[in-house]
Amino acid sequence: MAARPWRLILPALALAITLWLWALAGVLFVLRWNAVERPGPPLKELFPYGEMRVGVDASYPPFAAATADDLFGLDIDLGRAIAERLGVPVRFVNMGYDGLYDSLKADQVDVVISALVIDYSRANDVLYTIPYYNAGFVLVSRADRPFTTINELSGYTLAFEFGSDADTLARAWLRRIPPFETRPYELPAYALDAVRLGQADAALVDATAARLYGRDFPGWNMQMQPVTDSLYAAAVRIDRGKTWEAINYTLQTLADDGTLAALVERWL
Amino acid sequence: MVKPRPFSVIIQTMLKLRSRFWRLFRVYWLWFVRAGIVWLILVRLAPAPPRAPLGPQQVVETVKPQVCVHTRLIDEVYEWKIQRSLQMAREMGADTVVEFFPWAYAEPARGQYNWTSFDRIIKHARNQGLHIIARMGLVPAWAREDAENSTLNYLPDESFDEFAAFVAAFTGRYAGVVDHIIIWNEPNLSFEWGYRAVDPAGYARLLEAVYAPAHAANPNVVILAAPLAPTLEPPGSPNGLNDLLYLEALYQAGAAPYFDALAIHTYGFTEAPEAPPAPDALNFRRAELLRQIMEHYDDPARPVYITESGWNDHPRWTKAVRPSLRVAYTVNAFKWAEANWPWLDKLCIWALRYPISTRSYPDNFTLLTADFEPKPIFTAIQAYARGWQESDDLWLPAPGG
Repeated sequence: MAARPWRLILPALALAITLWLWALAGVLFVLRWNAVERPGPPLKELFPYGEMRVGVDASYPPFAAATADDLFGLDIDLGRAIAERLGVPVRFVNMGYDGLYDSLKADQVDVVISALVIDYSRANDVLYTIPYYNAGFVLVSRADRPFTTINELSGYTLAFEFGSDADTLARAWLRRIPPFETRPYELPAYALDAVRLGQADAALVDATAARLYGRDFPGWNMQMQPVTDSLYAAAVRIDRGKTWEAINYTLQTLADDGTLAALVERWL
Repeated sequence: MVKPRPFSVIIQTMLKLRSRFWRLFRVYWLWFVRAGIVWLILVRLAPAPPRAPLGPQQVVETVKPQVCVHTRLIDEVYEWKIQRSLQMAREMGADTVVEFFPWAYAEPARGQYNWTSFDRIIKHARNQGLHIIARMGLVPAWAREDAENSTLNYLPDESFDEFAAFVAAFTGRYAGVVDHIIIWNEPNLSFEWGYRAVDPAGYARLLEAVYAPAHAANPNVVILAAPLAPTLEPPGSPNGLNDLLYLEALYQAGAAPYFDALAIHTYGFTEAPEAPPAPDALNFRRAELLRQIMEHYDDPARPVYITESGWNDHPRWTKAVRPSLRVAYTVNAFKWAEANWPWLDKLCIWALRYPISTRSYPDNFTLLTADFEPKPIFTAIQAYARGWQESDDLWLPAPGG
């Protein structure tokens, strides 16, 4: 019998089209469902203790730090802003980094807002919100010689802090791209000074260090090009989906109306 | 005429497709078999995970036998990474490693032991010529009340004997190979005590429960009382209890007969290793205050192992120093301990490497990146431990003077 491949292809095509149509119908249904405004669950259901308990490691300025009787920083302001929008009192629980995820599991807190980098290995335990800050590495250069990719470094000089993660990253790059000259300094600020004073073409520092340096030298038109991501997000216990939804939605509205950007600008 | 509903149309279509598929299968079954064979061949061609065969027996080369490092191997997926980590610990000049051996991993069901993950670490450590100090902890779900809502550090009193049975099984199995056992970790922190109020008397009972069965299984085993977290938390704090107060309370609870050595955690935080100790200060020499408590209770002969120590060089953490200072402080800490602490057996740095990045400041305690890239601190400790000369010009002078 002669092979007639269309007899195999046509049914498979029909099946694929049918499945796609079902998938499309499903997406349209979900979109429509989400578009309908419904009253959210009562706050008592979202926060059973009558307050939003926020886990924070207050040893991490400018995100969270402590004085004798108060906490301050971007994460603290963000927690307060979210609680205010939700209309619920907020209480911060200060703890070490090691205890942050366990505190969710043990129901010591409702949410952790503590410069947590999204970690996919914890996806079975927690739900992360949308990111609110990117603390990854940036290439800093002068306006007259901006760098947009690491490949452009070839033949130029790169400054960084000795022994830092930037040092490790630069050594890894040296194995992958054409050579560039490295200039290790004792402090990240010295690496940035080297660029500003023309002793290096670019500096590799984390975004927070670059932003804080920029505040000290507002007249310097420095160029910042992100080269790695380190996304900070809040985390909620995985079985507290409604709480996560409320916090995530609120965080999104804070981002949309510019409140989040203003908070970041205030601290960084 | 009744118009067919869309759903029934789809079902009928799918049934037709199914029957057509089977008709085609009967005609072209040989092609399906051939495709299956090709798929199997392609699967077999996929690269196998790297193997980690044992090489020749290695010997640690070191001129500083106090140098030791805490590893994090138990959660490694690939055996070659365990081997590589231990190889680098040896090359650094450490003759001893501290490693965690979780009860929850070895006894997932009551009385059913699975030693596979422990065996592969221990065989590679022996192959590299390394001694192991084993830390015991992490409670399996079957030994916890309300396992859903309790953490892995929650060990109820009713499970002390079950934990002791595990420790005895471990010490018996690895007798002569692993002869130093740490019972629990930082019980003066509530999160390490399963989010209960810290309880020195409770921990003393745990030591008592473990001590005799462990020695019965291995008469040469050295039971180390758990290292305490350096903290200033006052009595009644929900977070924990000051380590000095806790150690006092432990002696007062009658724990002394139930441990052979004391493990200590001492971190330098932002201070130099030579900074003087004080009850209200957290620094490297806080270990001396713990030692004074031992002496106060007529316990000077009992050896001490510092099983975690070091400095952190994260740029944001308030308890960190710059990487350049971390290098200097760590090497000077070894020198200080060698010159001034005759009671100290080992000084172990936390930590060699993490299996994966924590993506936060704990990463800056490590000596290697997760990709095995040595940090300058690794090179500096290696030079110290092996008696090598290290360059003084590690960084450039500040721009503009």
